[in-house]
Amino acid sequence: MSSHAKAAKKFIADRERTAWHDQALFFVREKRDRMAHNVPEWEALREMASNMKLHTIANLPYYLEMFEKNATANGIHVHWAKNAEEHNRIVYEIIQKHGGKNLVKSKSMLAEECGLSPYLEARGIDAVESDLGERIMQFMGTPPSHIVLPAIHVKREEVGKVFEKELHTEPGNSDPTYLTHAARAALREKFLHADIAMTGVNFAVASSGAFVVCTNEGNADMGTSFPKVHIAIMGLEKVVPDYDALALYVRLLARSATGQPSTTYTSHYKKPMEGQEMHIVIVDNGRSDILACTEHVNMLKCIRCGSCINTCPVYRRTGGYSYSYFIPGPVGINLGMLKSPEKYSGNVSACSLCYSCSNVCPVKIDLAEQIYKWRQNLAPLHLADPSKKLMVKGMRFIMNHPGLFYNAIAAGRFAERMPRFVLYNSLDAWGIGRELPEFAKETFNEMWKKGLKTD
Amino acid sequence: MSSRDDILARLKKHAVDQVERPEMTFEPLVYSDPLEQFKKIMKTVGGNCVVLEEGQDVNEVIRSVFPEARSIASNLPEVTCATVNPDMLDDPRELNGTDVGVIRGDFGILENGMVWINQHTRYKALFFISEALVILLDRKRLVNNMHEAYKQPAFDDFEYGCFISGPSKTADIEQALVVGAHGARAVTVILE
Ligand code: SF4
Repeated sequence: MSSHAKAAKKFIADRERTAWHDQALFFVREKRDRMAHNVPEWEALREMASNMKLHTIANLPYYLEMFEKNATANGIHVHWAKNAEEHNRIVYEIIQKHGGKNLVKSKSMLAEECGLSPYLEARGIDAVESDLGERIMQFMGTPPSHIVLPAIHVKREEVGKVFEKELHTEPGNSDPTYLTHAARAALREKFLHADIAMTGVNFAVASSGAFVVCTNEGNADMGTSFPKVHIAIMGLEKVVPDYDALALYVRLLARSATGQPSTTYTSHYKKPMEGQEMHIVIVDNGRSDILACTEHVNMLKCIRCGSCINTCPVYRRTGGYSYSYFIPGPVGINLGMLKSPEKYSGNVSACSLCYSCSNVCPVKIDLAEQIYKWRQNLAPLHLADPSKKLMVKGMRFIMNHPGLFYNAIAAGRFAERMPRFVLYNSLDAWGIGRELPEFAKETFNEMWKKGLKTD
Repeated sequence: MSSRDDILARLKKHAVDQVERPEMTFEPLVYSDPLEQFKKIMKTVGGNCVVLEEGQDVNEVIRSVFPEARSIASNLPEVTCATVNPDMLDDPRELNGTDVGVIRGDFGILENGMVWINQHTRYKALFFISEALVILLDRKRLVNNMHEAYKQPAFDDFEYGCFISGPSKTADIEQALVVGAHGARAVTVILE
């Protein structure tokens, strides 16, 4: 059974919760549709946004250096990190230099990717999540189950219970307004007493050296308003050429993500405020490898809006924790495979090939097509036929993915045995009758070696 | 090799084929009645819009919208109802507890209710920490969409700037919309 199917079994055992989760996400998806329909040029906008990303990806060194030059001239300290470890170390060193102890951070998928919070915690730094959803998850001690809606799987009664314990709210009160305002009051104190602020980056504008952070709550801006140090972290694909390009993404992001015409706050940081030090860490962590994967380079266009997750019938019915990679849904299946097929191939089965994700993605990433390719590239390998053909296919697969498969080759199981997808038993039409190819029992390594020997 | 040079070298090594920068092939959204659209979109984003009438004074409006406000912070000379000039404070934390902050917006955007706030105050905290925010805006400064917004003359002339669209909000608990997450619980745009 694939890792996803196994984990999903647990989630779907509670039918009522599954239906509730499904509906909550579909509600967001419908809001997105209404927004898209209100913009007559929506499709042309997506097309241009997609092509602008491709142009940027084709010129990443150029735009990154331009951003660095302009940001530096603006008085921002620019750092570069090859991987998660270097990123964490750079952040920690800045904190240490200032003797920081209390850090407030706004939501950042990159911090999650790098495991920053546990890293800092182990070094005695209290990193408080300030986004409400993230804060709920922090209290619960579990990771977010969605990249934009971190606590989408949590019921109000559960939030009430955890707030009762952590914030001493009234027992039994699970009114969302009451709970939100309790969190507001508690976090206000954290904001006022923080000595370091951290934010993610939605867009970095090369031509200006400014970076943009989008929130609805205002937590990023509140966080950066008091401490003497602001550290912003960004994946290197966040760079956009200029404001004309930025306009495309600002128009698409919130409409796609939550079905709002824009986020409440779209903040542009260009120079450190009076008495403040501003740092930005540009992180690679595997992104430069994605660039070399011709078939999957489109993943670098992603603006992390989450709409492919909201629309995905498998995600809606199985929840974020059914995926083994920290980003769930179509975007996570693909990014997980690019990170480590050895670890995350158990997610590629979590797709009914309905192509809904590809249809909603604001930057027109061919998500479903890519998942299909992963399956195609994995599937032939299960033909336990040690022929030359197999070897050639295996080799071609490796050649198309340089730098990514060394782990897979070096060790371990990579394609799991994949029986009937557990979900297809009871759920509706999209699943019925669609059986997945069985993957091999043998490890990739074994198959690959066999292929080599017959040559 | 430094990490920077290493990353840039890898990006160059893995470079994909050159792709031209795309041209704009569409006519973006425009509105025939800017004032009506702005009122409508402000409602959508949970904000409040007041169109100043001939001879009406902003202080009157502020007072009538927030009759109970005790502390009103503003550095704008025309806001005579202000009780404190935030620029005179030593520490932005002193703004905690401000009932109403009054600031000036540079222009508004009809497609999404955003107002561009180029920071003209000493502390940007004022925009977020005030329980309610009042934004004064010239009604002639309404643009249709983001493309026009970023093309405004000297747009890039800022140190910190923020597009604000309505009050702070969240739906993180069961997708129930709650206004007043961390920032202002109410936003009133006064079109002068
Ligand atoms: S892949 Fe597309 S739809 Fe999915 S999160 Fe990224 S930008 Fe959004």
